[in-house]
Amino acid sequence: MRANRILDTLAGQGITRRAFLKYCATLASLMALPPSAGKAFADALAKAPRPSVIWLPFQECTGCTEAITRSHSPSIEGMLFDMISLDYQETLMAAAGHQAEAALHEAIQRNMGKYLLIVDGSVPLGLDGAYSCIAGRSNLETLKEVAAGAAAIVAMGSCAAYGGLPKANPNPTGAVAVSDVIKDKPIINIPGCPPIPVVMTGVLAHFLTFGGLPELDRLGRPKAFYGETIHDRCYRRPFYDQGKFAKTFDDEGARKGWCLFELGCKGPVTYNACASVKWNDGTSWPVESGHGCLGCSEPDFWDAGGFYKALSMPARPLKLEPAAIAAGVVAGAAIAASSRSRKSAAKAAHETTTLADLEK
Amino acid sequence: MTLPDIPVAAATGTLTGNARAVLGEVATLLDGLLRTGEGGLIDIRGLPMSPADRQWLLEQLGKGEVEILMDIGGRSRIVETGLPAVWWIEHRNEHGVLASEFVQVAYVPELISAHPDDVESGLEALRSRISELS
Repeated sequence: MRANRILDTLAGQGITRRAFLKYCATLASLMALPPSAGKAFADALAKAPRPSVIWLPFQECTGCTEAITRSHSPSIEGMLFDMISLDYQETLMAAAGHQAEAALHEAIQRNMGKYLLIVDGSVPLGLDGAYSCIAGRSNLETLKEVAAGAAAIVAMGSCAAYGGLPKANPNPTGAVAVSDVIKDKPIINIPGCPPIPVVMTGVLAHFLTFGGLPELDRLGRPKAFYGETIHDRCYRRPFYDQGKFAKTFDDEGARKGWCLFELGCKGPVTYNACASVKWNDGTSWPVESGHGCLGCSEPDFWDAGGFYKALSMPARPLKLEPAAIAAGVVAGAAIAASSRSRKSAAKAAHETTTLADLEK
Repeated sequence: MTLPDIPVAAATGTLTGNARAVLGEVATLLDGLLRTGEGGLIDIRGLPMSPADRQWLLEQLGKGEVEILMDIGGRSRIVETGLPAVWWIEHRNEHGVLASEFVQVAYVPELISAHPDDVESGLEALRSRISELS
């Protein structure tokens, strides 16, 4: 079975052991694992067999697929596709129509109980699932059939993980998350709009290495990437602690790179790895580019109030909670001292938006 | 109006103070290397540092005598800092963009050593070449 091992497959493509070690060191870094984990990762990954992966796109915008395939780090994400046997992915595969459906069913039969199922997009339940159909079948029907033979399911992106934008008020298609439909399989959520490509890579590498899913948080997200808030890892955090905030997008504070909390940054309540992994090949990320975090890896972020309202400002001023009043925005050293209580107050006041909010 | 006329620039010049702690960690790892022979690795990109912090850290560590370039799925550069056994490691992808960055405390960075399995394959290849020549 030596020829099926990942390292042997890679060697056949001219990828050396040192290149593989380098890849694993980078992956461990991106997964926020201890730096020494890179070598252990490489040792285990090299011996692992290549798994079959079936990828189903449902009610989605293809942004998640774009995020991975348009990534400018082919040495990482390209290697991922060499490590797995991607047996079905409608956007990427050459086959179409009946050939594509035949490939799907062949992959299911050949790897029954062992394949990994990746889903991007939400599942519409309205009108018996008629809002999104592939090959004459509703997404709901396809999901149930393919999930039945999967070893585990990866819900890729905020739509598959939480329902995402299709679920935004008033949710015309009755969109739900994968976990709302499938209850008897291990599901890992990789939210983000889109998710960070290397999170996908890291989860697959973990599955390949250890044969199971990594440790998950209460929302089913891998703790290695979603264990800390954007705020915890933000390089602008020291300015928050010093009470130095940009008040507008072009004031002196903004030019000096001060904290964007008062401009609506949702970093304090958003769990994701953007601050350490960054985007566009590690070039930058929203906060480094001067814009606050939108909180796209949290459930219902689209309906959670204005993107430019500070977390400490309630979405509905008329229903202001006493705790939120006490937590109002006050620049200066006092902010650092009260940051913890403000954070919880802000969470409490982070209400669903209304039509009136959108008109502001 | 040209781009430089716009009075907004990337915030690269601000020191946050986070890089200073790395120096202490390097000292602890060096002490461990001398006492037990075991060094360690610090993941630079996992730390919340501004570009100015990174530059400050590089200046504090200085530059030593050894520089190793490796072409392995993109260029990798291993440079001994001004402190013996403290190495600055940069891994770039195939487009030359920085993918990961470490400070390693070791007499020789592990990535440089050949793996016994690869040595064995090399030996087999050499023996086969010799037999073809004779």
